Amino acid sequence: MENFCLTKDKVLRINSDTYLLIFEERLPFEPGQFVMIETPQLVRKPFMLGRWNEALAISVQMKGVGTRYIVQEARKLKAHGPLGKAFVPPEGRGVVVASPTCVTMANYLQKRCNCEVVIGSKTQVRFELPFRTVVGDHEFLRLLPTLQYDWCLVAGSDSMKRVVWETFKNKKEHLFFTLEEYMGCGVGACKSCSFLASSGLKYVCKDGPIFRGDELCWE
Amino acid sequence: MLGIRPPLIIASGPGGYGEYLNLINSKCLGAYTLKTVTYKPRSLTEAPRMAFGSFYLINHIGLENPGVDKFLESLRLGRYDGIFKRTKVILSLGGDDLKEYLKITEKVKPHVDRFVAVEYNFSCPNVTKGGFLLTAKADDWARLLGRIRELLPKTFLLAKLGIEGILIERAAGYVNEAGWEGVTLVNTVRGLHMNPDGRILLGGLSGPILKPISLRAVYEVRKRYQNLYIVAAGGVYSASDAREFIAVGANAISVGSALFKDPNVIEEIGKELGGVVK
Repeated sequence: MENFCLTKDKVLRINSDTYLLIFEERLPFEPGQFVMIETPQLVRKPFMLGRWNEALAISVQMKGVGTRYIVQEARKLKAHGPLGKAFVPPEGRGVVVASPTCVTMANYLQKRCNCEVVIGSKTQVRFELPFRTVVGDHEFLRLLPTLQYDWCLVAGSDSMKRVVWETFKNKKEHLFFTLEEYMGCGVGACKSCSFLASSGLKYVCKDGPIFRGDELCWE
Repeated sequence: MLGIRPPLIIASGPGGYGEYLNLINSKCLGAYTLKTVTYKPRSLTEAPRMAFGSFYLINHIGLENPGVDKFLESLRLGRYDGIFKRTKVILSLGGDDLKEYLKITEKVKPHVDRFVAVEYNFSCPNVTKGGFLLTAKADDWARLLGRIRELLPKTFLLAKLGIEGILIERAAGYVNEAGWEGVTLVNTVRGLHMNPDGRILLGGLSGPILKPISLRAVYEVRKRYQNLYIVAAGGVYSASDAREFIAVGANAISVGSALFKDPNVIEEIGKELGGVVK
């Protein structure tokens, strides 16, 4: 973990509100790790680390002042990372079900692990992604039960996580979820991202951000 | 004097148990205050636990900590040795009531020499017992200060005060009369944040919005008590903020929430305070 600057090389628009940011810097990291990036606001924001054409990359949903700064305004961004635990998938063939906000992380996982990537986007995708991509809830819900896998990682909205959980909860020990609980520091100091897992108190930033499905409370 | 160089401290709470040492230049830091340890363990509060507006952060982490017994076990096992190797360490203590403050003092007494100071949190606004509620009963609280002084006669004692419960200059007067070395001014203030979805977060307010309040607190206390050591806390985000606090009478500067924006703030302020020993 260290402080560094990220220099934007390219920004590509994935769909109506989500962008792919490719950086000039090289940073060693493991699948599942994230980075905290500065904003003009009082806290840094967490983003899952990934790669795009071998370059360091993240994807960002632009929805406020902080993400607009990251996507449109700044060229160099102060950051610290890599943070969090590496995701080590179980044996067998997996599937990563992700929203466009996690597309670079999914891409990196596909390069590193034996898995397929399925992207579920609410709105039309602006360029061709090298994965199976479905647009809209209806198509996503139709595709989901057809997926065959030994393990599944879900990286997306709460509604995406819940529908995958409801579909596959009989295989809960093979389901994994990224949690986007609010983080203040990203390093385990502030305790703002803690939650009660089935095995006790956990912190998203240092014990996660990826957790097994049966660790989480779905009530 | 506390004898730290530079007179720059990481505040109890945001700094956790030393995690930020991996992100900052510890040569620019005078001391690291550990997250408050209470007599009993404090468990999880409901999410969301933190939110922010343009000029403030609000949290209701509520002094989550493992309790003094587990903390001391970790201390004995060397889990905090990495912090002691890199900087001076301040212990922060809290409790639910007066008795717990005495009991925790007795428990930590054999270990206090490892710490450059012990800070007592008399001002956490995020609790239903203890915290700032203690100072509202001033006579009882003043007796507690005296008892702690007797138990720890040689320890550098700091009382972390807030602006609620009791007028801060009056509270500082009790601390001074009890023979404590200093005060930390100020803790977070009770606040309310409403999320766009209508959910309400009650918690402690920090961030730049706190600076004029803490500046005034330092100013008022210094005017009355020239010999009290004052650690200024609340809304310090830059070297120029630190200069203002020093100008109104602070001996040392404490940085907390600003770490979330940029951990490099320690290097910036540490260089500003340079070779000063306080």
